[in-house]
Amino acid sequence: MGTGKRTLKCVILLLAILILLVIIAASVGAAKISLKETALIMLSFVPGFNNLVDSASIDSQNFVIISQIRLPRIALSIFVGIALASAGVIFQGLFRNPMADPYVIGVSAGAAFGATIGLLFVKNSGPAGISITALFALCGALATTFLVYNIAKIRGKISVVTLLLAGIALSAMLSAMTSFIMIFRVHDMAKVVFWVMGGLTSASWAKFNILAPVVIILVVVSGFFMRDLNVLSLGDERAAQLGVETERVKKILLVMASLIAAVAVSMSGIIGFVGLITPHILRLIVGPDHRILYPASAVAGGIVLLVSDTMARTVLMPREIPVGIITSIIGVPFFLYLLVKSKREAF
Amino acid sequence: MKEKKDKNILSVRNLSFSYNSRKVLENINFDVKEGEVVSILGPNGVGKSTLVNLISGVLEGYEGVIEIEGKDIRKLSSEDIAKLAGVVPQSTYPAFDFTVHEIVMMGRHTYTSRFKAEGKEDFDIVNEAMEKTKILQLSKRRFSELSGGEKQRVIVAQVLAQNSPVLLLDEPTSHLDINFQIEFMNLFLSLNKNENKTIIGIFHDINLAIQNSEKIILLKEGRVFNSGRVEEVITRSSIKSVFGSDVFVGRNPVTRKLYVSPIFSPANSDNMGNLYPPLKKSLKVHVIGGGGAASPVINLLHSRGYNVSCGVINTLDTDIETAGMLGIPYVAEAPFSPISLNSQEKNLQFIKSSDVVVLPGVEFGPGNFSNLESVMEAVRMNKKVIVIDEKEIGLRDHTGGKAVELYRKVIENGAVVVKSEDEILNYL
Repeated sequence: MGTGKRTLKCVILLLAILILLVIIAASVGAAKISLKETALIMLSFVPGFNNLVDSASIDSQNFVIISQIRLPRIALSIFVGIALASAGVIFQGLFRNPMADPYVIGVSAGAAFGATIGLLFVKNSGPAGISITALFALCGALATTFLVYNIAKIRGKISVVTLLLAGIALSAMLSAMTSFIMIFRVHDMAKVVFWVMGGLTSASWAKFNILAPVVIILVVVSGFFMRDLNVLSLGDERAAQLGVETERVKKILLVMASLIAAVAVSMSGIIGFVGLITPHILRLIVGPDHRILYPASAVAGGIVLLVSDTMARTVLMPREIPVGIITSIIGVPFFLYLLVKSKREAF
Repeated sequence: MKEKKDKNILSVRNLSFSYNSRKVLENINFDVKEGEVVSILGPNGVGKSTLVNLISGVLEGYEGVIEIEGKDIRKLSSEDIAKLAGVVPQSTYPAFDFTVHEIVMMGRHTYTSRFKAEGKEDFDIVNEAMEKTKILQLSKRRFSELSGGEKQRVIVAQVLAQNSPVLLLDEPTSHLDINFQIEFMNLFLSLNKNENKTIIGIFHDINLAIQNSEKIILLKEGRVFNSGRVEEVITRSSIKSVFGSDVFVGRNPVTRKLYVSPIFSPANSDNMGNLYPPLKKSLKVHVIGGGGAASPVINLLHSRGYNVSCGVINTLDTDIETAGMLGIPYVAEAPFSPISLNSQEKNLQFIKSSDVVVLPGVEFGPGNFSNLESVMEAVRMNKKVIVIDEKEIGLRDHTGGKAVELYRKVIENGAVVVKSEDEILNYL
C-alpha cells in the first residue's frame, strides 16, 4: 500500500475521533447540555448544514455557552496540541533521539522568563486579544532559540549535540534568572507558577484567530520535509550521501519547529509531555515513517490536549486543574504501559 | 558488457582540504575511467574517507576541482551528486526502527519530489535492487532485527536504488566476516562487469583491495604517493614507505594476483629487541637453498639484520621467490636443471666471502648434490657451518646413499648441528 493512502486513512480516522471528542467535550461542563443539543448547535456553524438545524430547538443560553465559552477553548486546546506534537516529531527526528521534546532547545525556559517579566513588570495590557504576558513569552522563547541556534552554528553547520547542550545550559540559566526575579516579588510568585504550569483558561476566539493560522502554515510547510527527516535519521553524513541538503533542511525544520513551539507556549504556558509522548505513541502504532507519523501525531496531539483540557476543567468542577498536571499524571502511565507492552521498539 | 575504458568518469584536480587549520589532503590529482575498479590505499588517518566524502559532496570547502561525468560537483546540488555517485558506508544506524523496504526506498530520495510520494518506477527499481542483493524476503522486516551482513546488503540495495554510475565504497566490509567480504566483493565486481559501474573503494584489507582492483591510488600524508596499475604501485618499498611496515609482496600461486603478507619479526620492534643477543651486523651468512627449505632461515636471519646470501636455487623455487622479495643476493640455476659447474663456482665464491654457512633441511637428488659438496668445501675452508637437522637425512636422500654419506662427513668434520632454525642465532 502506498504511503499516501496509508497516511490519508490514518489521518481521516483520527479526525473522525477528534470530531466525536469535540462534541463530547463541548457538552460537558458546569451547565448541563445534552449531546444532541451540542451536536445541533455545532452543526448550525457548518455552512450548508445550518439550514437543517431548527433554531427554535436550541436554547439561546446554551448556544452562547458553547459558541463563546467552550468552543474557543476546545479549538485552542486542539491547536496547541497540534503544535506541540508536530514540534515534538520534528525535534525527535532532527535530534535522532526519541527523548527530545518541543522544549529541548530552551523554548520553555525562555518563554517562562519572558512571561515572568511581562507578568511582574509590565502594567499595560497587550493588543487586542493577546495578553502582554503571551507577547513577552513569545519574545523570550524566540530570543532563546535564536541564541541557542547561533551558539550551535559553527561555520554554517549546525551541530546537533552542541544545540542540545546549549539548550540545556541556557534553559538552566534562564530558570535561575526567573527564580532570582521571583525572590524580589514573592507576593507575585503564584502568578508565575500558575502560568508556568500551563493552562487554557484564558481562551477566546481572538486568541484562536491568531494562533490557528500561524500553526496551520508552519505545520503544513514543515510537512513537506518529512521524507528528508526520514533520511536524516540515518545520520547527517549518510543523508547527505543520499542527496539530502542536510544543513538547509535542518535549519528550516529547526526554525519551523522552534516557531511552532514558541507560539504554542506563549498561548498556553508550558504544557509538558504532549509533545514528547504523542509522537512516541503514534510511532508505536503507525511506525517511524515521518510522512505518516507527522500528520497522525499532529491530529493525535490535538486529541490528547483536548481530552486533557476537558478533564482539567471538569474533574474537580468548579475548580480547574492546570492542564499540564493532567497530561503528565494521565499521559505518562499510559505511555509507560505502551512502552512495556510493545517489545518491538527498542529505544 | 564492459565498454571500452577511455572516458574519464571522475577526475580530481589539485584537490586540497583542511579540517579547521589541519591540512588533510594536499594537491591530490587522479583520474578514474568509466568502468574501472580502483582502490584507495593508505594508513589510517591519511584522508581516505575524507576523499570519499569530498567526491560524494558530503564535505565542502575544498580547493581544486572534482568532476564526475565532466560536471564540476561544486556547481551541483546534493541531489544531483547523489545521482552520480552512491556511497556504501562502513555501517548505518537508523535512529528509528524502519523496515527494510523503507530503508531501501530512501535510496530514491534524490529522484522523488517533495510534494509527491514514490511512484511505480521507484518501487520497481527498489525491488530490483533488493533482488540483486538477495533481500526481497526481508522486505517487511525491521532493519534493527537483521544481522550485520544482512544490514549491509540492505544498505547496498539502498545505494543501488540511487542508480548512480559511480559506487564509492568506504570500507564496506570491515565489520564483516570473511564470507561476507567475499560475497560483497563478488557483488561489486559483478555490478562492475554487468552494469559497467565504476567502483572506487577504500578497503581495510589491503589484499582484498589489490586482488580485486585494476588501479591503486596510494596515499601518504595527505598526498598521492603513487597511483597506477597494481603491479606498479604495490611494491615492498612503497608499502614500507607508506605504511612503515615490512611486507612480502608475492603472487598468489592460484590467481597469479599480487598479495601482500606482513613479516612478523619480534626483533624488528624496538621494545622487544633486548630479548635477543646483540646483533653482529657485519656477519655474512650464506644459506644453502632448495625446495623452500631455506625460506624460514633466510627470513629469520634477514629480519635480524644479518648479511644473507643464498644458493644454488632453481628459478621458480620458493626459496628464490623469498630471496627476491627480501632483496638478498642469490645464485640461480635454470628451472628443473641440474646445478651447472658455473653455478657451483659462483656458490663457492659466496661461501668463500661468508663467515657462516647454513645448511637447512634441503632434499638432495642428483641435480643438487653439488650443493652438499659445496658445504663440505666450506668445512674444508674452516668456515663455521651450521646444519639444521630437523628431518633425518636418510629421508631426504634421493641419491641412493651418497648424500647420507657426505652429510655424515660434513658433521664429523666439525659442522654444528642444531634442531631448528631458531637455534642458529645462538651460534652466530
